Amino acid sequence: MGKIKKLLPGGIWFLDPPKDISLDGYRIDKVIQYTDFVITLYFAIVVIALVFFIWRYNSRKNPKASYDHGNQKKHLIMTVAMGLLVFFSIDVVIETMSFKDLKEAFWNFPKGKDVVRIEVMPQQYAWNFRYAGEDELFGTDDDIVPSQNIMHIPVNTPIVIQLTTYDVIHSFYLPNFRIKQDATPGMVTAMWFQAMETGQYEIACAELCGNSHFKMKGYLTVESEEDFDSWLGSLEPEGTKDELDDWGAEEVEGVPEFWAWAWKELK
Amino acid sequence: MYTVHHKESFWAKYIFSTDHKIIGLQYGITSLVWLLFGFTLMMIMRYQLAYPESPVPFIGGLLGDGGILPSEMYNSLGVMHGTIMIFLGVVPLAFGAFGNYFLPLQIGAIDMAFPKLNASSYWMYFVGSVIMVIGFFVPGGAANSGWTSYPPLANIATMGQTVWLFGMVMLITSSLLGSINILVTVIQLRTDGMTWLKLPIFVWGQFITAFLLILAFPPLEAAGVLQLMDRLAGTSFFMPSGLVVSGEVMTNAGGGSPLLWQHLFWFLAHPEVYVLILPAFGIVTEVMANNIRKPIWGYKALVYSMIFLGFMSFIVWAHHMYLTGMGTTIGAFFQTTTMIISIPSVVILTALLISLWGGSIRFNTPMLFALGFLPMFGIGGLTGLPLGLAASDIHLHDTYYVIGHFHYVVAPGTIFALFAGIYYWFPKMTGKRTNETLGKLHFFFSFIFMNGVFMPMFVQGLAGVSRRLWDGGEVYAHAADYLYLNEVMSVSAWLLGLAQIFFIVNMIISLKGEKTGEVNPWNATTLDWTDTTSPPLGHGNFEKIPVVHRGPYEYSVPGSKVDFIPQSEKG
Repeated sequence: MGKIKKLLPGGIWFLDPPKDISLDGYRIDKVIQYTDFVITLYFAIVVIALVFFIWRYNSRKNPKASYDHGNQKKHLIMTVAMGLLVFFSIDVVIETMSFKDLKEAFWNFPKGKDVVRIEVMPQQYAWNFRYAGEDELFGTDDDIVPSQNIMHIPVNTPIVIQLTTYDVIHSFYLPNFRIKQDATPGMVTAMWFQAMETGQYEIACAELCGNSHFKMKGYLTVESEEDFDSWLGSLEPEGTKDELDDWGAEEVEGVPEFWAWAWKELK
Repeated sequence: MYTVHHKESFWAKYIFSTDHKIIGLQYGITSLVWLLFGFTLMMIMRYQLAYPESPVPFIGGLLGDGGILPSEMYNSLGVMHGTIMIFLGVVPLAFGAFGNYFLPLQIGAIDMAFPKLNASSYWMYFVGSVIMVIGFFVPGGAANSGWTSYPPLANIATMGQTVWLFGMVMLITSSLLGSINILVTVIQLRTDGMTWLKLPIFVWGQFITAFLLILAFPPLEAAGVLQLMDRLAGTSFFMPSGLVVSGEVMTNAGGGSPLLWQHLFWFLAHPEVYVLILPAFGIVTEVMANNIRKPIWGYKALVYSMIFLGFMSFIVWAHHMYLTGMGTTIGAFFQTTTMIISIPSVVILTALLISLWGGSIRFNTPMLFALGFLPMFGIGGLTGLPLGLAASDIHLHDTYYVIGHFHYVVAPGTIFALFAGIYYWFPKMTGKRTNETLGKLHFFFSFIFMNGVFMPMFVQGLAGVSRRLWDGGEVYAHAADYLYLNEVMSVSAWLLGLAQIFFIVNMIISLKGEKTGEVNPWNATTLDWTDTTSPPLGHGNFEKIPVVHRGPYEYSVPGSKVDFIPQSEKG
C-alpha cells in the first residue's frame, strides 16, 4: 500500500517529495506542484476529448464524415487563441513564479558577516571542502580543509558556496535542499542555501564524471551554531599540516598545494 | 525525364542503386536493425538497474567478471543506446527512409533531385554506423562519457570516444547530404499544380526537418572535429589551463572552454528534438486524414505552426545548461523562449485533435498508432515545462525525470508515429497487406509497456534519483524508497521487447504473403497512392506524371460519389 501511495498521488504529483529542510526549497516544490496540476488538467481535457471523439465518431456510429477544412479566418483565430490560452494560463504563470523565485532567492546571493562561505572542489570521485578560517580569507595558512566528503554547516545561517574543479565536470546536488550546481574546470560557479533543520543529509554528484560516478557521495551535517564552531575548531588548519597534497597521491608538479581561489563576491 | 526499364544486375538494382525507393528501403531496413540493437543494449542496462551486481543471464559471459555488467561498460551502453537510437535509428528511419521513399512520390517527382548524392548519403550513414559500433571492440570499450560527450571527461576518455567522434562526423555529413537533397527536391521538383499550400503535411514535415538539419548539424560537426583534434592533435579547444587528471597535469590543456562544447552540442541537439518530432507529425497527419475520412482541420495553422516551431527550436538550446553557471541574463532569455515554443506545439496538437471531430474514424493498425501518438506526445511535451524553467530545473536537472520526459517524446511519441507509417505504407512498398490482428496486438502491448517503462521515471526523478548511476541509486538513502520502481521499469522494458515479436512476425508473414493487386487499399488521396502502382515502377515512379488540381485531403466532399477525391483528379 505504501508503495502505491508513493507512486500515485505522492509520486507523480510530487506531494511526497524528499524531505525539504531548506529555506527556499518550498519555492521549487510549489512551481513543480502547480505545473503538475495544470498540465494534468489540460492532459485530462485532451484525453476526454480524444475518448469522446473515438466513441462518438467511429465509422459505425458516424458513417459519413463532415467536410470541414477549418481553414477560415475564424478557425485560424480559434487555434491561435487556444495556443495563447494555454500560454497565458500555464506558461506565463509558471514563468512568473520561476522568475520571482530566481530573483528573490536562487539568484539573490546573501552578503555580509553572517554568511558562511565554503569553497567546494570536487575531483574524481570525492568532494573537497574548504573553510576560510579566522581571517575569513581563502588561500591562507588558517584555511580549514576537513576530510574528503565531509561537510558541516550551521543551521539557520545562509551558506554561500563557490565551486570549481581541476579535472572533469561534476555537479553538486543536495536533494533535501532542492539545489544543484555544476562545478566546471576553468570557471568558478556559485550557489547558496540555508538549512532550517539539523541532521545528516546527502550530497550527490549529478553529472557523469567517470566510472565511479555512481558512488561519488558526500555527507552534509547540519548542526547548531555552537556545534559547528566546535567542529571547525577541532580541525587542524591547512598551514600547520605536514601533508600539503590534497590529491591523495604524491605531490605532482603543477598541482596547486593550496587549491583555494580568491573569493569573489557576486553581485 | 528518364524512365529506365532495362535489366539491371542485382548489385546495381538493390545495393548501389540510385533509385530513391531502393535507398529509402536501405535506410529503413538498416535503421530498424539498429533500433533493435540499441533497444537490446538498454535491456542489458536495465538488468543491472533492477538487480545491481547480479550476473546478467544469457550474455553475462560477454560482459565481464562473473557475468556482472561493469560500470565502465554500463556507461558505454548508455552512450551507445542514446547515439544508436537517435542517430542510427530514429532519424535515418524518419528522415532517410520515409523521406526518401514517399516524399518524391507525394510531390509527383520521378526521383530525388540528386540521385547519386542520395546513394552516397546512405553509404556514408552505413559506414558511419559501422564505425560507431566498432567502438565496442577497441581497448577500453565504446565511448563512455555520456551521449552528450561533455569535455573534459570526453577528452580524456578511452579510445572509444575517438571512434565515436569519427562515426558522428560521418553520420553528420550523411545527414547534411540528405537534407540538401530534400530541400532541392521539394523546391524544384514539385509537379505542375503542386503549390506550397497543396503539399501534404508529410512533405512539410520533411522540408522543415531538412532545414533544421542543414542549419544545426554543421556546428556539431565543427565541434566534433575540434574534440577530435583535442584528443589526437594536442590542441585544447575544450580544456582550460591547469587541468589535473588523476594526479597528472594535462600538458596540452590550456585556454579552452568546456562550456563552448556544451553550447555547440546543444545548438544541434535541441533542434534535433524537432528533427525527431516533425516527421512524426507529418506521418501522423497523413494516417489520420486517411482514417477520419475528412480534411485535416486547420491545414494552414498546422503549416505555420510547424515553420514557427522549426524557427524557435534554434533559440532554446541553452535551457539544457541552466546549471552550468553560464549567467543569469542568458538563463532568463532561454527560459522565456522555451515557454514560447509551447504555443505552436499546442496549436498542432489542437488541430489534430479537432480533426477527429465529425470524422468517420476507421480503427486500423496505423490509425491506432497515430491515435496513441497524440496523448503520449502530449505527456512528453507537457512534462517538459518544469524542465524549461530555470527554477524547477535546479531540482530536476540530470534526474530520471529528464529521461522520462524525452523518452515520452521520442519512444511512444516518434516511434509510434514511425510504426504508424510502416503499417500505413507497407502495402505501397510491397503490394501486400499486413496482418491486422498481429498489428493490433503489437499496438496494445507496446502502449501498455511503454508507459510501464517511462511513467515511473517521473516518480524517481521527482524524488531526486539521478540518471547515469550504475547501481540505479542504491548508494543514496534519498532514493531508497523509489528503487523498487527499477524492477517495474526493467520488466516492462523486457516485455516491451517481447511485444516487438508481433511486429517482426507480422512483417515476415506479410512479406511472404500474396500480392493483393490493390493499388490504393486505404482509399487515400495523395499522389503516392493514386498515381503509382504498388510497389511503384523502378526508375521514374509514374507511368504518366500526375498534375495536381486540389488540396491533399479531399475526403467526404459533398456531392461526390466516393468519399475521396485524389489530388490529381481534374475538376
